[in-house]
Order: sequence, then C-alpha cells, then structure tokens
Amino acid sequence: MAFRTEQEVDSLHATIECEQPQPDLYKFVGRINIYKDKEEPVARPLGAENLLLRGATLKNTQHIYAVAVYTGMETKMALNYQSKSQKRSAVEKSMNAFLIVYLCILISKAVINTVLKYAWQWSPDRDEPWYNHRTENERQRHVVIRAFTDFLAFMVLFNYIIPVSMYVTVEMQKFLGSYFITWDEEMFDEELGEGAQVNTSDLNEELGQVEYVFTDKTGTLTENNMEFIECCVDGNVYIPHAICNGQILSAASSIDMIDSSPGGYRREHEDLFFRALCLCHTVQVKEEETVDGIKRGIHQGRPTSFYISSSPDEVALVEGMKRLGYTYLRLRDNYMEILNKDDEIERFELLHVLNFDSVRRRMSVIVKSSSGEYLLFCKGADSSIFPRVVSGKVEQVKARVEQNAVEGLRTLCVAYRRLSETEYEEVCHHLNEAKLALQDREQRLAQAYDIIERDFVLLGATAVEDRLQEKAADTIESLHKAGMKVWVLTGDKMETAAATCYASKLFRRSTQILELTKKRTEEQSLHDVLFELNRTVLRQRSISGLSVDCLDFGLIIDGATLSAVLKPNQEGAGPGNYREIFLEICRNCSAVLCCRMAPLQKAQIVKLIKASKEHPITLAIGDGANDVSMILEAHVGIGIMGKEGRQAARNSDYAIPKFKHLKKMLLVHGHYYYIRIAELVQYFFYKNVCFIFPQFLYQFFCGFSQQPLYDTAYLTLYNISFTSLPILLYSLVEQHVTMETLKREPSLYRDIAKNSLLRWPVFLYWTCLGVFDAVIFFFGAYFLFDNTTFTSNGQMFGNWTFGTLVFTVLVFTVTLKLALDTHHWTWINHFVIWGSLLFYVIFSLLWGGIIWPFLNYQRMYYVFMQMLSSGPAWLSIILLITVSLLPDVIKKVLCRAVCPSATERAQSSRPCLTVEPSTIFMLSQSSSRMSF
Amino acid sequence: MMASSYNAKDEDGHITVSGPGGGALRSKKPENTAFKQQRLPAWQPILTAGTVLPAFFIIGLIFIPIGIGLYVTSNNIKEFEIDYTGVDMSSPCFNCSQNYSWNSTKPCTCTIPFYLEQPYEGNVYMYYGLSNFYQNHRRYVKSRDDSQLHGDMDSLLKPSKECEPYAMHDNKPIAPCGAIANSMFNDTLELFYNDPNGTKVQISLANTGIAWFTDKYVKFKNPGGDNANLTAVFQGTTKPVNWRKPVYELDKNASNNGFINEDFIVWMRTAALPTFRKLYRTIKDSKMVPTLPRGNYTLEVVYNYPVRSFEGRKRMILSTISWMGGKNPFLGIAYITVGSVCFFLGVILLVIHHKCGNRNNSTDISN
Repeated sequence: MAFRTEQEVDSLHATIECEQPQPDLYKFVGRINIYKDKEEPVARPLGAENLLLRGATLKNTQHIYAVAVYTGMETKMALNYQSKSQKRSAVEKSMNAFLIVYLCILISKAVINTVLKYAWQWSPDRDEPWYNHRTENERQRHVVIRAFTDFLAFMVLFNYIIPVSMYVTVEMQKFLGSYFITWDEEMFDEELGEGAQVNTSDLNEELGQVEYVFTDKTGTLTENNMEFIECCVDGNVYIPHAICNGQILSAASSIDMIDSSPGGYRREHEDLFFRALCLCHTVQVKEEETVDGIKRGIHQGRPTSFYISSSPDEVALVEGMKRLGYTYLRLRDNYMEILNKDDEIERFELLHVLNFDSVRRRMSVIVKSSSGEYLLFCKGADSSIFPRVVSGKVEQVKARVEQNAVEGLRTLCVAYRRLSETEYEEVCHHLNEAKLALQDREQRLAQAYDIIERDFVLLGATAVEDRLQEKAADTIESLHKAGMKVWVLTGDKMETAAATCYASKLFRRSTQILELTKKRTEEQSLHDVLFELNRTVLRQRSISGLSVDCLDFGLIIDGATLSAVLKPNQEGAGPGNYREIFLEICRNCSAVLCCRMAPLQKAQIVKLIKASKEHPITLAIGDGANDVSMILEAHVGIGIMGKEGRQAARNSDYAIPKFKHLKKMLLVHGHYYYIRIAELVQYFFYKNVCFIFPQFLYQFFCGFSQQPLYDTAYLTLYNISFTSLPILLYSLVEQHVTMETLKREPSLYRDIAKNSLLRWPVFLYWTCLGVFDAVIFFFGAYFLFDNTTFTSNGQMFGNWTFGTLVFTVLVFTVTLKLALDTHHWTWINHFVIWGSLLFYVIFSLLWGGIIWPFLNYQRMYYVFMQMLSSGPAWLSIILLITVSLLPDVIKKVLCRAVCPSATERAQSSRPCLTVEPSTIFMLSQSSSRMSF
Repeated sequence: MMASSYNAKDEDGHITVSGPGGGALRSKKPENTAFKQQRLPAWQPILTAGTVLPAFFIIGLIFIPIGIGLYVTSNNIKEFEIDYTGVDMSSPCFNCSQNYSWNSTKPCTCTIPFYLEQPYEGNVYMYYGLSNFYQNHRRYVKSRDDSQLHGDMDSLLKPSKECEPYAMHDNKPIAPCGAIANSMFNDTLELFYNDPNGTKVQISLANTGIAWFTDKYVKFKNPGGDNANLTAVFQGTTKPVNWRKPVYELDKNASNNGFINEDFIVWMRTAALPTFRKLYRTIKDSKMVPTLPRGNYTLEVVYNYPVRSFEGRKRMILSTISWMGGKNPFLGIAYITVGSVCFFLGVILLVIHHKCGNRNNSTDISN
C-alpha cells in the first residue's frame, strides 16, 4: 500500500510506538500499528532505515510524507550535538594557580598586619598618642569591627598584588596577537584564496604546548582529491594524461598504451573493463551548476555536469573513465547511458545493484546490454575479488595491484561474469527472497550476494591516488622532531592508511610496527595481545636504556579492537585494566595509526589520552564533519578548510588552509605565543610584588596604620600606564629566536614543552626576584633616608618624597628588567620602553608641578622636582636600580654560560644565520647603529 | 620519493590555477608588511658573558670611585647630636620632662652644656630630632586641610572633615586644623658659645630658609593675601588646642607669620619614618670664624613638647652640609660594595666565559 497524495495519507489511521530518544544514529526500534475499519490492527516494524535524521536532504524525489517522531532537543542530531565547552589553556590554568597563591599571600599579609597592629598598639600611648587622637565616632566602635575594618583596609592597600590588569592585558594580548596568525602570508593559500582563521584567541599559547597531534587522514594528510592514476587490464597499463589537481583541462581522451599488442581477446576485455567501471557504481549526475557537490567536473564551454557520490573514489573512477573516452551520461528510466569512444550512446538496463558494504568490500551491478546479454560487473578490494576469480590474468594484475598499494594508491579490482537467462532468473530469485525476508534480512542478503558473486573473470585493476598534501611528510617529521606524538585517525582501511603513513614519514622504514587489529585479536585474545605488545615495548626500552630513539615503535590499531580495549571492564580487576596497558604501549610509540574509526571513536581516543595521568596537551586536526567531535574534544582543535565543507573549520579553534601550515602554526606561532604569554604572566606577578611589597614593609615603620607609601596617582597609574605598554608590546612582538631558526630546528619546541616557563620553580624565581627587588627598593631608600639630610641646603624630605623615590626606582627597575628580557628590539620596543619611562618622568613633573585645584590635598606638590634637585637622590636611584637588576643579569649570564638550553644555543649561534640574505638585510639595518 | 613527485606537480598547479577569480581572491591576501609578517628590523641583543663583561667592569670602575668620593665627603661632614629628652635623673631636663602639663603657664627651661671637639665651618644647620613619633601614621598624615593652608577663606572657616577631631573647638573652626598642626613642635632652642674668656655669646639662629621654597611661596598662603591684617583675617577661628598662641602670633616678622611661618611649614611636611629630624635653624651669619669654633656650648631649651608619654626622644643636632647632604656613610659604602661586587663578578665571568666559550666553540665545530 502506498500513499501518494495527501488524501491517501489522511485516510491512514495508525499509531507509532518508538523507543526513548537516544543518541545512536544507526539504531532505531519502533513499531507502527495500522488500524483498518474493524479488522485487527496490523503491526509493522520500523528500523533505522525508516528514519530520516534531522538535516537530511532528499534525493531523487521532490517530497515525501513522514511523521515527526522526535523533535527539538530529542532528535538524534541534537542528542549528538557536543556542546562546545569552554576550552582553557594550560597557561590560564597555571595563571589561576599563581593567582590563588597570591591571593593567599594577600590575605596572609593583611592578617599578619592586622594582628601585628593590635599587638603593637596594645599600649594606649601607641594606639592614641596625644598628638593623634581618634574621632569620637571611631572610638566608640567595637574593637572587633575596628579590627575587621583594619583588615579590609590592609586588603585594599595590598590588593594591587593581585594583578587585575594582567587579565585585561592577557585578553588584549591574545586578541591582538591572534591577528598575526591571520596576517601571516605564509599561511595563505592561493588556491583557496584564504589564510588562516582564528576562531578563538584563548588558545594561542596552547599551540606551543602540544604533545599529541591527532590528525585525520583523508583531506588532512591527503588532499581528498581522488585522482584516477591508472588502470590495468590484464596487465596492460593505461594512464590518462592531462591531469591537473583532479580537474580536466581538456576533453583529451588519449590512451597511453605501454604494451600495445592489440588482439581480439584483449580488445574484448578492454571494452568490458571500461564498461564495468562506467556501470558499476552509485554515482549520480547533476546537471545544474549550483550544487553543493562533493566533487565537480567542469567542462569549459559545455553544459556542466557533476558526478556526485558518497565515495570520492567512485567519482574519480568515473571521471578517469571519462578521460579514457567512456563517459557515463546518466541513468534514465533504469537505463544507464554511456558515451563510448566513438561518440555513440550505449544503453544498459540496470537490473540490480548489489550495494557496497564494508564486510564484503565489493559491489556489483547486474545489467542487460542492448544485445540482450546479462552481465554482472563487480569491483572491490583485491582481497575480496581474487578468491572468487576463475579465469583472467590473475598473476599480472596481482603484481600490479601490489606495486600500486605499496606506493600508497588505493586499488580496486574489477571482474565480471556473464549470466545466462536461467542463471539470471536464479539470481533474481535469490535476491528477491532475501529482500523480502522480514527476519535476518541482512544476513540473508549477504548469503544471496555470496552465491551470486562468484565465478568471476578478472578484468583488471584500477589505482586511485589520494595525494598527500604538499609538505605533509616534512610537517610530520618536524612535529616528530619537536617531540610531539602524531596519531593518525582514519576511517580508511588499514593497508591504505598504512601506506599513507609511510609516505608521510609517520612510519619510517626503521619503525617497528605493532599491530593491534581485529585480525590479530581473532587469533589470540585481546588480553594476550596487549600483554605481548607491552612486553615487547618494555623490553625494548630496557635494552636500549638511555638511547630510546634508536628504534621507535609504530602502533596500528583498528576501531573494533579499540572499542574492545575501551570497553569498561566488567570483570573487575581480574585480567587487569586494558586501558592502562594500552596507554602504556601508546606512550612508547612515536606514531600511532588508528584505522576504521568511527567519528565518535576519534573523540574517545582524544579523551582517553587527555585523561591519562600525564594530562598531555592534545591537538586534533581534521577537515570533515566526522572530525568535529575530536576537534571539539581536543585541547586545541584545528580545522582544515577542506573540500568536505566548512563544518570542521567552523567548529575548530583555528582553521588553516593546508596541513603544512600546521608546522608554522605550532613551531613558530605557538612557540612565540607561549614564551610571550609566559613572560607576560610571570612579569605581571613580578612587577606587582615589586610594587606592593615595599608598602607591606612600610607598615612596620608607620605603626601598621595602612599608610600608603605611594601617592594615589602612582598607585592607580602604575599598572595602567607606567608599566603596562612595554609588557603588552613585548607580549606581541617578542621573538627570542628568529622564525627561520624555529622552523629549521623543530627541537627547540621541546624547550617549552610541559609548560616549562610557568612551572612552580620558575614562578618561585620570579616571585623571589620580586621580593628581593622590593626589599632593595625599600631598605635602600630607608637607609638613605634614615635620619639624615638629603639636600645640599639642609632641608628635609617627607614621607611622600620617600615614596616617590621608591616608586621611581621601582618603575625604572621593572621597565629595565623587561628591557633585559627583550631579545627583539624593533623601533616600537624602543619607543614604548623609553617612552613609558619618559612618560613617567613627565607625568611626575606635571603632577607635582601644579597646585591641582580639584584635589583636596597637595601632597605631591614639587616633591618629584625637589627629589631630582638632590644629588644623593640621583645617586641612590642609580645604585638601587643597578643592585636590583644585578641578580637577574648574573643568573641569565651564568645559566647561559654553564648549561645553555637549546634555545639559548640557537640564540648564540645567531650570527651564523647571516648567510641568509634576508637576515643580512635585517641585521644590517638594525645592528649597525645599536649593537655594541 | 613521493614527496618530490607531488611537489613538482603542485607547482604546476599554482601556475595554472591563477585564472578563476584571481582578483577577488587577491584582496583577501594578507598584506606583506614587515609588521604584519613579524619581520620588523630588529636589534637582537643577548646577554652573554661576553657582552655583559665589559658592562660589569665599567660599572665597577665607575661605582668604586664614586663610592670613595661619597664616603670621604660623608666623613668630612661634622655632626653633633645631643639628646635632651630628660629621661635620666641626671639629665638637666629631667624635671621639665616630669612636671609636664599642657596648661602650665610658666615655661619650664633647662640648660644643657656640651663640648664641640671640632670647629664647624661654613653653614651649620641645627635640627631637632624626634624618635618614636609616628608622623607617618595614616590618621595623622591625612589630618590636614591643604586648601585651608593655601589661604582659602571657605576652608578657613569650614575645615575639611579630614581634620577631625582637630577641626572644631568650642564651635569655632581651628586654624590651622588637623592633628599635624595641632602637634607642632614648640620647644625653643637657643645656642650659646661659652667663650674661653668666660663670656657667653648667643649664636644667632636664622629661622628662615628652612622650608622648601615652593612650600613657602606657593603651597602655603595666608588667607586674605600677603599684606592682610592676620589678626583680623583669623577672626572667628580658634587656635589649635595644644598651641599656646594663635597662628598669627607665631612670628613678629610679617613674612614669616601665620601659615607661612617656616617652622610651621617644616612641621607640616610629615616625616617618612618614626625617627626623624627636621631643620630648625641655620647658622649662617655667625660673627665668628669658623662658624662654630671648638669649645664649650650651652643649649637652652624651653621645654614645651612632651614626648615621654609615648617613649619618644628629643634631640638637637648640629651638622654641616656638603653637596651630597648630611652625614650618611651608607651611600658611599653601598657604592663601593656594589662596585667591587661588579668587578669581582666581572672577573668570575671572564673565567667562565673563557672556559665555556672554548667548549661551545668546540661543540659547534663537532656539530
């Protein structure tokens, strides 16, 4: 019964029972009960094949009638939607940890001071000496309230130690800094006409911290630009010319015959072979121009038509045939039309399509030619065709196929079988029976196929290349050298994927491959395989000892085994936790290939590694919608602006046009961003310690009365204008090593691995440096001021001069410290660093130069100028700055001299770079004047 | 092997593909400017032993002489300090310090003899020093009204809230208001030289030129202008509680009276630390040469200022001044120390540089 019109649909009385919403896309269990007037209701099963998912598009029909089963958030797509969780970088996490430390310091400072204050002013003569009475109001306040307000007052006084402005600066740095990625000319792709895209600026520095790279294969490592390379008919190789990136430049249809020995038999097979490829597929032809096709074939001048298929290989094959002179035109009224070499249209009646499935790994069509012959054409993987072949030049074809597979080409074999009338009847019978079965339909179909697809005559083989992306191998090699582990996650079959991995140098010839595949686990139990591999890995490690790099392992695992490994162990602690063993094996493998992966498995793998005990930083890169889940899961998700739509690029944190751009993204931009932000964070804490610690010390000399050391204007402007710009600029333009060096020596990336610049020892060093400097500022000024005259006219300075002296030393020291850390002095750096010091001086002159009418105090009036008019003040400023900077300089020089890191060596060997012309230009422009 | 093959192909691709919509794409291409490509010409210094060495030696060579100079200068400065608080029973001011009362009408005086072992040449400065006096206490520091002191009439009659509880007395505004002004140092110190021939010569002490110029002429102003009748101007205000006389009677000299009295201005500049000294007088036009010859002197104190309640100390200091201020050996010593440390480090670095420099070179070659 069919419902073709609305009235017919309207007449249907039925109820649908279905399961609760669940996210599995490929599973649906339901039942439809159809009621007819007074008969018993008829129940029909509903399966996944009856379900249309949200966002599906109709093919071959204008409309369908349907019932909405799940709506809104209950749809399978909505349930599958992985909410884009906020990603936070490792730097941000350590920043927050540091912040908590500083918060503790702040609170403890305030508590200490409050306690000391009340201990100190125990005697009323100290609390309220005759010269300094409280107001009546204050006196009446309860001591607890007073203590609490004192505590709060100390908090206010010391709150600058929490660098609030750091967060603003970090955000600005990230936002502005990310422009350098978009501006990068080297990451611009001429073909796409697009450069790199930054979707979030929060993770810039995470690019410098990547330890695991998960990459998709098709479209990421390879171009996803299937190209028909050759076909071989009975051992004769045919190569179509005039290929350029998969686009046909002209309708050239020449055939190169390497072995030209025409003969009747050969001729027949050749014709059959080409027809087989033209007929045996599920490609559809679209004639419109505006099509969101996966694959396009452009004919200049002619009305354009596109081949569309879920499999790009098929499109490549059909297009390859077109180039060899056999054009598949269309499927019309169940007749397939082919334009053959002599520009004649041949029509074949399409009788049956035996669809491709991943178990059989082949597909077949049964057609009836115009002459009334029944033909069965089959194409499929070599392993599934050869056993079913009864005649043909198997040896030659096999040799060719193997050769092609080694070169990383995707191969398919083509065979045919001629069916007699009776045989055809039988086939029809088998098929119909299976198709009509209500139970075990799948299984019975498979059986039917098995019976039909046999006794083939081998025609030949095809080779399709999914070309590696430009410089993919170089990129992978660099990533390896930079200490990253590269995992390839692909849905492809193992052989193809492995070939690509070899081609992209993920596996080297020396790599020992460990296999963890279904094939193997069928022979042995998963448990045994895992333990055996683990033993191999561990033995190797114990033998090689220190030189781990001498032999590296590569692991190949497939989706089925992976899900077995990841399956939660119900038997408790019995056979041990596979997960841990698996991770242990992975840890010792420099490269891992996961094939036959489902999209969600990709995310699972990423999650697994993310959650392992080292908590490594992961990066996922992919181009297709199937990579989105892993892109969202990984710490950093990178999308390739690929051919399979924009979904990956849109969901990613960064989008780049090509895989090769990953190298610059990580090794140069990531490295720069990391050192920049690390310095930014540490410097901010440092400069605020320097700033506030003297105030803390001052409390011991002013009766814990919360008297600020610095004037309000200084307190406010210190972080906003006196010291903000130099560090912001540093964090935007610093290049401790040149870009060329970073690209040439990927191993420098290891120097910053594991958040090395923001670890606790480094943080402690900076904080200690800050405290040391603060102590120098304060006690330096203290001993200079102590009970003596500072001027040559005998007049005395007051507390504001004291504070201003400390502040001046502070601003200069902190700025010069940054200057010492700067390795890349552009004119902007000079401008900003010297400019901000100058600004401080000018501001202070102005601030103290005028009686400001709107202020109710004039405490700073002429304080700065009076200070500058005194010789000892100058001398002590110079002295204190020198002393404060000294330890850091010594530490730097000693570290560099005694145990230089790779980065430092690269810096010192910079003069060697002058060989490169661009560097000569740079150095000659800059260093002629400034270097010493 | 594969790499080379596809590279070659792709280059071909680049040439041929430029056709469709090239112009439109070009506009999206990032600009090739030095800034955007992070290729600004830059000076790239590195702190190595080699580059820092000369700096260290130079610092050492400059700092040590400066330090020696400072130290010598500081040593040449003569300074004499005498504590006249009167804590000990033996002290001449013990009685005064004991029987202290704000309300006593009869001033208590005490006389302290002392002996200067060296003659003081040139300008001699006389300071009073207080210890354990927290002029830098927050409540104290803010307890002033700068606009009142700037001569603002409104503030004179309506002192700022900051002055509380020293703003109003008997419903009259206090002028000058605030804790600082209220606690102004009011001892009178006089210096006498006991001539060897028995006569007691009073040394003339100048009470001007002790405050900052800008304070006296800009920051502090009497209300009603320079030539106003101060008594009339301060009508309606009352003197600070602890003062004996109103602000317009601080000095007979009109240009040193009222808010612009220099003793007052000096006191109003709050000290940074609880032990401090303030300039009291200068001895410039002493008729004697040297200014203060060696010999016996007497310090006559009108003891008004109580410090014993908070265990304070009062001192009188006589000091000469050099270009670098008063006696302060710290700066000189610090310079010498830092200079020598730098020099010493320079030597160490030289050694390290020599050793490691060779080692680095050898590794470079082997690489």
